[in-house]
Amino acid sequence: MARYGFVIDLKRCYGCYSCQVACKAANHTPKGIDWAWCMPAETGSFPSALRQMLPMVCQQCDEPPCMEVCPTGATTQDEFGVVHVDQHLCMGCKYCIMACPYGSRQTIGGWDTYFPDAEGDLDPYEAYAKARWEEKNGYGMASKCDFCTDRVAEGRQPACVDSCPAKARFFGDLDDSESEISILIRRERGFQLNPEFGTNPSCYYLPPR
Amino acid sequence: MRPNLQAQTKWRWGVATYLFLVGTGAGAYVVGVFADFLGAGWTDVAKIGVALGFPLVTVACLFKVSELGRPYNAWRAGMMPGTSWMARGAILLTAFLGVSFLHIVLWLWPFSGALAGADGLRHALGILGGILAIGTSFYTGILLASNKPIAFWSTAMLPVLFMLSSLLSGLMAVVLVGLIAGLPFAGAIASLEHIIAALLVLKALVVTFYLQGTHRTPESRASAQLVLHGKVAPLFWFGVALVGLAVPLGLGFLDLFHFYGGATGGIAVLASLCGLAGGFLLRQVILAGGIHAPLRAGRFEIALPIV
Repeated sequence: MARYGFVIDLKRCYGCYSCQVACKAANHTPKGIDWAWCMPAETGSFPSALRQMLPMVCQQCDEPPCMEVCPTGATTQDEFGVVHVDQHLCMGCKYCIMACPYGSRQTIGGWDTYFPDAEGDLDPYEAYAKARWEEKNGYGMASKCDFCTDRVAEGRQPACVDSCPAKARFFGDLDDSESEISILIRRERGFQLNPEFGTNPSCYYLPPR
Repeated sequence: MRPNLQAQTKWRWGVATYLFLVGTGAGAYVVGVFADFLGAGWTDVAKIGVALGFPLVTVACLFKVSELGRPYNAWRAGMMPGTSWMARGAILLTAFLGVSFLHIVLWLWPFSGALAGADGLRHALGILGGILAIGTSFYTGILLASNKPIAFWSTAMLPVLFMLSSLLSGLMAVVLVGLIAGLPFAGAIASLEHIIAALLVLKALVVTFYLQGTHRTPESRASAQLVLHGKVAPLFWFGVALVGLAVPLGLGFLDLFHFYGGATGGIAVLASLCGLAGGFLLRQVILAGGIHAPLRAGRFEIALPIV
């Protein structure tokens, strides 16, 4: 059975936020919810200071702490290692938000329009996004990235991978030693975030220069 | 460059109230059950303690449910006891509510005669409820301590601190209600004041050890900085240290050693109110000091967006 994984090449990412916007468009996430996002980081000091973007998605941990703490069984892991939330079971206790080391679980109480100055009803596109969000996720639950499961089932790549202009994101099967991501991890010494928590994430990063 | 670590914002006053009321209710019940073993002079204290457990924990649960994003799913809270401490807590709370309700109904009201003469049965029920109460107050600490990314919470000292604080809050609630109900400041109530004074000293030591233990990681040091010198510091120094520990301890000594010329219990009421406020604020301070570990990517350390 495949174990889906991500590789993000920090050498290639230049922080254009395409992944963040593509994820919003594909998953209709409301304002304040970002299943894929980028964070700028700095290290060192002048004249050897370094700036780096860190693109984030849910790390789809092999040992997901959010699933471990979920009291209702709303958080589950499928046969591909992807962690899902059942909106009908979640009670919105936010325990998973506390337990996730990566900030991947997010919650929102209601739809906050992207265009607060606009008068009248939501425009048709935002109204569509709101309806889709309410249908698939809704409010008060701790939502998360699911590696674009619907798109992957159709044979497509996750939206953030498809949209990355720098080709910094790779999606594939971690269990297949000959897959592109497995080769990249081996060849370029891919690493996981915060290994000290023992979660064994399915998302690997290739080191920056 | 050090990341700008931010405290979590999702668990605040509502959860602090829940943790405090669960702890106080469970603590009062344990005091009541223990007092029931001490003989006739302690009957009033025993009845007050047992009577406080159920209502306080019920109100706590209502706070928790109202704080949920989807309260209508609250009934599912105990579905995953194999892995989730919140699920285990939900089961413990339900069991405690059942036993403590039965204890009240059969001993105090409306069937007050049912257990009045049956000491063995009443004690057995009390022991069962007491075990559940201890588990319940222990759970409030474990609930936070099980979050590994928040090093300020993820320590064995936290359940110990919450257990101690629960017992102390329970004792103070019993003294407060007892004095308001007209019990004299003598005998059992005066003895409880001695225990409270000793536990206040112990709590001050445990709080000190707890904060001293935060040097382990950058995020727990940031938490300690926030609590001792940052935005949360006024709440900690004024609310927990002064109102919650120093004032009740000082007033307790005044009462116990009759420095003001005679024990009336009025000062004990004030001391209990201060101590209870301190117990509540302690939970809030600990919640407000919770900071997630930064993301560590090679040489980079990046603070999570505000959680």
